[in-house]
Amino acid sequence: MGTINSALSIMSQALDADQEALNVVANNVANANTPGYTEETPNWQENQPISIGGVSYGQGAAETGATSARDRVLESRLDQQQQLASASGSRLTALDTLQALFTPDSGSSSSTAGDIGSDITSFFDSFSSLEATPTSNSLRQGVLTAAKALAGDISNAAASLNSQRSALDQEATGVTSQVNSLSSAIAQLNQQIQTTSPDADAGTLEDQRQEDLSQLSQLIGINQITTQNNGLEITTTSGQLLVSEGMNYQLTTGMVNGVTDFFVGNTDITSQLTSGGGSLGGYLTARDQDIPGALTSLDQLAYSISTTVNAQNNAGTDYDGATGTAANPLNIFSEPTAVAGSAASMSVVMTDPNQIAAAGAGDGTGDNSNAAAMAKLASQSIVNGQTPTNYYSNFVTTLGSTVSSVQTENTAQNASVTQLQTQNNALSGVNLNDEASSMTTFERSYEAASQVFTMLNTIMASALNLGDQTTVS
Amino acid sequence: MRVDPYYVTNLVGSLDQAQASEQQLSSELSSGARVTSLSQDPVGSGENVLLLNQIQQDDSFTQSSSLVTGQLQVADSALGSVVSQLTQAISLATSANNGTMNSSDVKSISNQISGILDEVQSLANTSYQGQYIFAGGQTSTAPFATSTATSPAVTTYSGDEDVNNLQTPNGQKIQLNVPGDQIFMGSGSNSVFGALNSLIADYSSGTVDTNQAVSDTEALGTALNYVSQQRVTIDNSITQVTAASDAVTSVQTQLTTAQTNLMQADVATVSTQLSLSETQQTALEDVIAQLNSTSNDLFSKLPE
Repeated sequence: MGTINSALSIMSQALDADQEALNVVANNVANANTPGYTEETPNWQENQPISIGGVSYGQGAAETGATSARDRVLESRLDQQQQLASASGSRLTALDTLQALFTPDSGSSSSTAGDIGSDITSFFDSFSSLEATPTSNSLRQGVLTAAKALAGDISNAAASLNSQRSALDQEATGVTSQVNSLSSAIAQLNQQIQTTSPDADAGTLEDQRQEDLSQLSQLIGINQITTQNNGLEITTTSGQLLVSEGMNYQLTTGMVNGVTDFFVGNTDITSQLTSGGGSLGGYLTARDQDIPGALTSLDQLAYSISTTVNAQNNAGTDYDGATGTAANPLNIFSEPTAVAGSAASMSVVMTDPNQIAAAGAGDGTGDNSNAAAMAKLASQSIVNGQTPTNYYSNFVTTLGSTVSSVQTENTAQNASVTQLQTQNNALSGVNLNDEASSMTTFERSYEAASQVFTMLNTIMASALNLGDQTTVS
Repeated sequence: MRVDPYYVTNLVGSLDQAQASEQQLSSELSSGARVTSLSQDPVGSGENVLLLNQIQQDDSFTQSSSLVTGQLQVADSALGSVVSQLTQAISLATSANNGTMNSSDVKSISNQISGILDEVQSLANTSYQGQYIFAGGQTSTAPFATSTATSPAVTTYSGDEDVNNLQTPNGQKIQLNVPGDQIFMGSGSNSVFGALNSLIADYSSGTVDTNQAVSDTEALGTALNYVSQQRVTIDNSITQVTAASDAVTSVQTQLTTAQTNLMQADVATVSTQLSLSETQQTALEDVIAQLNSTSNDLFSKLPE
């Protein structure tokens, strides 16, 4: 049988529960802009009814905490996509710096400075001019000037590429400490979550862990594996263990062949990280593939031009009637010994313009046949089966296409990240309108409960006075 | 259905993009260049390298051709003077051969022809910018010298048979010189110096062996024709250089137009795009302002 007392008790519990629900709403509103926070909804539960004399009486409701609105699959998809987008993003930044070295020449005279394509043409053109008057000192000087411009611009570009490479190396190294602090934070959170909430969503702790995961995803490519008691194992995309529940394995760095390599324990995981994703993956791709690729092309160009031009100059007769020999070669450029490093070391060693061998072997100094042969090198396939200009043209096209395709890739990946982010926000974000509506509901519910409480109080007074209105009010 | 409560953030992202696009378009307008980085048009950038290469080559050829034209004109004018000197020598010899002159007159003819020989030799040793132009490849020393140790005197050629060519951008070869011995020392009766030396010897004693002198005079006539023929080679080269230079200039004009079209910003298009971007930016700003205004929030509708 129900009593006025039990009704009062139900109402006081209802007031408590409404307060707790309002507390959840207040927490949501307070965390509306906290990164990683997921919206929480209050859990309501009916109290166990009491059965008296075969009749069941309801015992009101209780508020039993809050549940975070979370979709683990969506969050892990978002992390994966974020890894790809960060990788292409950091690679794109590196490539943008790289391609700035080879800005297209607009054709006006002021823009030709520093343009390797124009340098190549000017250099071989200087021999065409020499063809007209092979004995002219000023034209000979012109050849050396053009050679210096070409060698200077190629070696400058190579030097810039090398310094960009070491800058990327440093940036990549800087990522390590962030990765380590995030992985140790995740390991700690794993321990807390496994202790406090082995069976259910750990709410705020889970939010923090997820936020760390998404930050880690911006840095490197990872896989997440859920373990028992709500624990988490994190590996690199290729399977190297970084965090195992409460344990984390530090990423360390070491110099190998002049660049920084990355280790976990004694395992070198540099190449795994390169293809893995995250901004580290992007930096490493630019450092180990894009820049070396551009350098190799420049090396090949510098090597072929230097060796072919030197050989041709040694095949002729210079203005003093001398011909190059093994002991006293008439080299215009410093003779490279290997393709690698040719671009960086390209320089003009000839100082005396008279040493330019315009005349053919055994011909008088007025002959121009060797100058003609030098000029003709411009249209011969001397660089990897291509003319120097075609080779350079292909190089810029290839480089431009690479940058352009990474741009497209990055745009697509960012769009995908945005889409997933939108989905995730729709689910987990704090919607203030929802909160306003919940708050009004709970407020009304609280008002109703207190109203009922007042009524019950009046009823209780009536019962106590048994009809006499003045004793208890 | 739930919506993303942070959609305004995404709109701000779009606003950033609109602004970045405006920045890019304004830089295109101010620099006049359509492609400011390789990735904007990789194929165009590669094509640009090739076009500029050809334009520069053509430009360089135009300069070379004006240099060689100078040299060829000097050669032509020298040969022109040689022809008039030889014509004069022939008329002197003809007057000496008709048998009406006394001994001293004949000797004087010998001296005059000797003077012509000196003049022709000096013309054959013509230099342009310090280089002997009829010396083949041995341009640093005078190619012709006459030794009077024997009678008739002997003129020797110390140059070589070297011929220089200038290659045009499309591969055509233009001959730049004719070796001096080809012009002045042609074999047999074609030798200018041989004929002149013989005539000097013929008249030096004051008595004329008419048969020999007439035959030597005819030889000089043949040699003169031969010089004129060689001069044609030089004249042809001048014509070729001029024609090649004109052709190259017209190609260069076309290439420059192509290069300009390829790389330069089309002001009308860019301006239109810029205006579209501006409109989009304004629209986005309005939308964001509208959405951010507090009256759109349910909280603001709650009773105070």
